[in-house]
Amino acid sequence: MISPRTIRNLKAEFRGSALAKLGLCIVVLVVAVAVLAPVLAPHDPTAQNLDRSQLPPVGFSTTTNSTSTEMVNGSLQVVNETTEINATLTYPLGTDSLGRDMLSRVIYGARTSLLVGLLGTGLAAVIGVTVGLVAGYYRGRVDDALMRSADVMLAFPSLVLAIALVGLWGRAAWSVPDPLVVLGITPEMPASFVLPGTVIVVVGLVNWVWFARVARGEALSVREESYIKAARSVGASDSFVIRKHVLPNSATPVLVLATIQIAAIILLESALSFLGFSGTTLSWGFDIAQGRDYLASSWWISTVPGVAIVITVIGINLVGDWLRDALDPGIGGEGGSGGA
Amino acid sequence: MALGRFVLKRALQGIVVVWGVVTVVFGLRFITPGSPINVIAPLDASAETKRAIAQELGLDEPLYVQYADYVVGLLQGDMGYSYISNTQASSQVFARLPATLELAVVATIVAIAISIPLGVLSATRRNEPADYGATLFSLGGISTPNFWLGIMLVLVFAVQLEVFKTSGRGPGFGGALATLLTSGSVDGLLTWLSYITLPAITLGTYFTALVTRLTRSGMLDELGQSYIKAVRAKGLPETLVRYKHALRNTLIPVITVLGLQLGTLIGGAVITEAVFDWPGLGTLVINSITARDWPILQGSLVVIGVGFVLINLAVDTLYAYVNPQVVHE
Repeated sequence: MISPRTIRNLKAEFRGSALAKLGLCIVVLVVAVAVLAPVLAPHDPTAQNLDRSQLPPVGFSTTTNSTSTEMVNGSLQVVNETTEINATLTYPLGTDSLGRDMLSRVIYGARTSLLVGLLGTGLAAVIGVTVGLVAGYYRGRVDDALMRSADVMLAFPSLVLAIALVGLWGRAAWSVPDPLVVLGITPEMPASFVLPGTVIVVVGLVNWVWFARVARGEALSVREESYIKAARSVGASDSFVIRKHVLPNSATPVLVLATIQIAAIILLESALSFLGFSGTTLSWGFDIAQGRDYLASSWWISTVPGVAIVITVIGINLVGDWLRDALDPGIGGEGGSGGA
Repeated sequence: MALGRFVLKRALQGIVVVWGVVTVVFGLRFITPGSPINVIAPLDASAETKRAIAQELGLDEPLYVQYADYVVGLLQGDMGYSYISNTQASSQVFARLPATLELAVVATIVAIAISIPLGVLSATRRNEPADYGATLFSLGGISTPNFWLGIMLVLVFAVQLEVFKTSGRGPGFGGALATLLTSGSVDGLLTWLSYITLPAITLGTYFTALVTRLTRSGMLDELGQSYIKAVRAKGLPETLVRYKHALRNTLIPVITVLGLQLGTLIGGAVITEAVFDWPGLGTLVINSITARDWPILQGSLVVIGVGFVLINLAVDTLYAYVNPQVVHE
């Protein structure tokens, strides 16, 4: 699976590439933020405070115009008041329309993005690799049938299919207790974290095809090797050969593809939440959507979570480039659908 | 003639895929909780009323009869009637198709026109400022959610600078062209541009970035090959070396990936339409899901699936033409 030579290649490529280092730093940072969200977030991300709504981020200030009618010297007059709203360090990235802290929301949003990205990719990889290995190992009719069904999947854009499935199946969500709150480290934070269950299942279901294609290619090339023939001739069963010999050989390209897929699924999740097809409201895509109505007055509500997505996805893509350059799995790179 | 046989074989495979698409689209209703009857019937409808509705829509028939009815209907261009407006689903779907096609075609043309020269420039000026700029742009482009890019464009160009339209399609390209031909006025075209510019950038950026990356890495591979040294040694001008030899071979993998990424283009169009209220298939799909308007949703998905298969057939043919090897595999 991971040979010493592979590790040497990874290290050599890493040393020579500033972008790989940058990518790994970003990924480590985002993972740390997601894991430690309750500790790092200055406020409860769901706590509303209408007195402090639409505060700008530090370094910016906005003005609001309010018109009121007042009695001045015995006659009614329309009074225009311009109030300057200054940023405060209590809310470094400002607040949204309900006075929720943007920084805390961005920190918690990292959890949603990473968990959906990892679990969705895991599910897609399990389905896709199984289908691909079986198709490539048995060839013939099994291969034809499985690969035609993969073609059918490809004919539906993953975003369109995902919208349809989440929209139709409902937005089921799992409530997971937050260990840091349960242990009493951050008792003031939300006690549980909402995981958008349907979204995870659906992104796995719509993205397995890419894994199937890669795993099939590997199985096709490996099955003709003499050690596979040797294993079969001593009576090893098909499932044993697939698990012990074919699967390990496809590990490297699957790993590279999985990295790219995590980025693609994070983009897909943000698109689904943006359109309102998600089970959680603590999501970068959701915040971008809610900020749309306040673009003219509070530009930061949509802007800030988008920057978080871009930085995260750039980090993962840089790690993906590093793995691809170091391991050269020959899948041509751009597998998987992104840009959602 | 080999090419003809190749295309025919691909077309037959395409028909199988289309059949699969239709089956999945039909099956979707049966793996979804909730009956379509509840969409149509009023909340307080009696059991008889519901039975009557089921009978009228054929929902009380056995599954295989419903399936056969649906397939036969589709073959005749009949997608059923909208549950909400009771108009023909096919007329609604095909009324929306041109807007989506217009957006996708404009975005693709702009993407190709920018990305291939940019990729070549990046590869031939490797490790120079132009290359760093192009690499940074393409990394950012493939990492940016397009709906967010769209909103940022709205923020800058519409809210702050007030130059472009942010909602709707305007006259469409056809309408703009008609104005130009009848009155000789370019105003129609300018209006068209003011509507389509932001959506097209939103949809096209990811592809521009993707193809720039592919072209750059492909060109770098090709320029290192020995045949390039040979043609250079023969004294061929560098422009010809780059564009006639290296670029031509680079385009082969670029075409493959573009074919595979077609779904992303259509998916991107759906969300771009949602951002800009573009009256295309995407907004139709989203509305029909929310309203559980099955005939519209199914019809839209079938059209998207068939469109994907057709364009892929075209891409495969183009691919076989550029790279005759695949025909003989």
